[in-house]
Amino acid sequence: MRRVLSIWLPQLPLDLRRRKADPRIAGCFAIISEIKNAWRLTHLSEAAIAAGLSAGLSLPDARAICPELLTEPSDAVREAALLRALWRWADSLSPWVALDAPEGLFLDITGCAHLFGGEADMAAHARMRLADMQITARIGIADTKGAAWALARFGQGEVEIAQAGKTSAALTPMPLEALRLPQKLTSDLRRTGLKNIGQLTEIRRAELARRFGLALTQSLSAALGHSPDPVSPKAAEPIYAARMTLPDPIGLQADLLGVLERLTASVCKRLASDAKGARRYYLTVRCVDTGDHVLHIGFARPTHIQPAVLQQFARPLEALKIEFGADWFRLEAAHVEPIQPFQISLDQHKQAEDDTSKIISTLGNRLGFDRVRQFMPMQSHLPEREFTHVEAMDRREPVSWAPAPRKRPLRLFKRPERLITLDPGRPPKRFQWRRDVYATQDAKGPERLTAEWWQNESQAVRDYWHVQTQEGVRLWLMTYPGSQHPDWFIAGRFA
Amino acid sequence: MFVGEIINRRDVGTLASFTLQARESLCLSGAVSLAKGRVHEVMGDSADMFAVLVASQLSGPIIWTGLARDIGSLAPTALQDFIDPARVILTEGVSRGEVLWAAEQALRARCAQCVIIELSQGPNLRESRRLQIAAEEGGGVGLILIHGRAHTSACETRWRCAASSAGAAVWDLSLTKNRKGELGNWRMSWVKSEISGGAYEAGVIHLAAATAA
Repeated sequence: MRRVLSIWLPQLPLDLRRRKADPRIAGCFAIISEIKNAWRLTHLSEAAIAAGLSAGLSLPDARAICPELLTEPSDAVREAALLRALWRWADSLSPWVALDAPEGLFLDITGCAHLFGGEADMAAHARMRLADMQITARIGIADTKGAAWALARFGQGEVEIAQAGKTSAALTPMPLEALRLPQKLTSDLRRTGLKNIGQLTEIRRAELARRFGLALTQSLSAALGHSPDPVSPKAAEPIYAARMTLPDPIGLQADLLGVLERLTASVCKRLASDAKGARRYYLTVRCVDTGDHVLHIGFARPTHIQPAVLQQFARPLEALKIEFGADWFRLEAAHVEPIQPFQISLDQHKQAEDDTSKIISTLGNRLGFDRVRQFMPMQSHLPEREFTHVEAMDRREPVSWAPAPRKRPLRLFKRPERLITLDPGRPPKRFQWRRDVYATQDAKGPERLTAEWWQNESQAVRDYWHVQTQEGVRLWLMTYPGSQHPDWFIAGRFA
Repeated sequence: MFVGEIINRRDVGTLASFTLQARESLCLSGAVSLAKGRVHEVMGDSADMFAVLVASQLSGPIIWTGLARDIGSLAPTALQDFIDPARVILTEGVSRGEVLWAAEQALRARCAQCVIIELSQGPNLRESRRLQIAAEEGGGVGLILIHGRAHTSACETRWRCAASSAGAAVWDLSLTKNRKGELGNWRMSWVKSEISGGAYEAGVIHLAAATAA
């Protein structure tokens, strides 16, 4: 029989600040986040609850009730990082730990509890250890994930244990929210007069499924243990980084390269053995006088080749000004992705592709990766919105281009250039553009384009003319029809 | 019988010397060719068109470097008639120095058979020699599009391409400088090959003798 332990961390954002010894926690303090277009309180300090505030209250209301309230928006990234740290810590209880984001953990404790002297002692031990870390926790233990989750959140005490085989009895008095259903489904069920899970179990499954969909019955049978719902742990992502602390600061270029070589050797070897590569590498150099300097390089495709990393770091390292030396270095590989091993010598196509990504990396590291781009088609009929640029580094799969409906100019000016009409007409018979005077020989048009209906532009309708000038240049003239004396623009130049 | 014909050729001997170069060269049409591993200058209103047509005869990525205003105005919707826009890698420099640096790196890379460099003023001797050396290493074709004036340079050839008043897909092409061979004037046209199954195939450039200039 499986046994599952669910840890709920109801005050995770507050604990985060408490661990940092934030003095505001002692007073009226609340974490807020934007829910349904309003800032609402999500987590409250004890003083705030005592002052009559409750979670879900909007910020203006809360301020009206308690003017001295201090608030801070929730920081999802830091909270997730803390949860992941706790997830790794939970390995000390059971080897089978899964994240239950945003504020919980699932542990499969089958065969583990006796090591702590029973389930109750295990839960107490866990709570004590968490309390040492200034983290509030509630724990539920049951045969299934759903039941353990419900016990942790809706149980009476801080630790709730449903004995083996007693899941159904433990769930009976629980409210409907304990089933982890979508909000709408729960409110629909409430509207029919159902209040707790016990009432649901009395109704025939087929009836429930017909009225409320399969999600409800699936969730119910998983919670009761009729269908499997295993705890599926995910191994922690390994961190590919290496650090070096030196007894004395160094500053010579050759010494720096020596350190970098050792760091890259370590990181690249581990990446290579895992058949992974990194798209970015960060090197932190801690100078004794000026503090940390972070150098970074990027690659167009994930790589773990040490010489390539060294080569790309050469330039930023050269540019780094070290006066009194640096004594601490850390190299970290970021954006780690698996790479497919391939045979180099036989696959010429692969070799060419490799060379292309190498040149993209070289250009990008100096000019910036946002300056090395490729074309990407877009769904629009407006000439300037038919395509966009994407970073060449990001481009993974080939794209196909639909044939253009009409001939478009090779040079398309993002901002049409105004021309000076010398001899009016439709289009102008003679005009001046960029210091040169052109005479219209032949004009085709107009091609009338209207703006996309969701665009609210003042000059929505445009007329384009394909003009062949006597000088030989083929231009794309544009005007906004409708006005008395329309201005003319050059929208592009045909080749 | 080739379509292209050099007007001011004197005898067959010079024609042969034009084609038989020491290096591998890219045949544009008939006997007219462009040396690989060399940098060429292109001027005129339709210089970019000439570059695109040359690129269509080569395979592999096309690295197009230039300043933001030049790179930003390039439209793939027109390019796709001639080449697969996915082949183009745009490299934007903030200064002439950066553009030239990027061009040198790109020419040196063996993967890029075609590097197009947009400059407002032509390269001087020093700049063009550096590009020339880089191109020799990489073996690709470098094309410098000059919007303004050209200077004395070490480039192999200088072409001038302008839209012809004769028709839509016709250009007047002239070779105004050639370090190894003859100069000439042509009327260039382009015949698109049938696209089969969405794959891009190189079309055919036709060079016909120009009428008396």
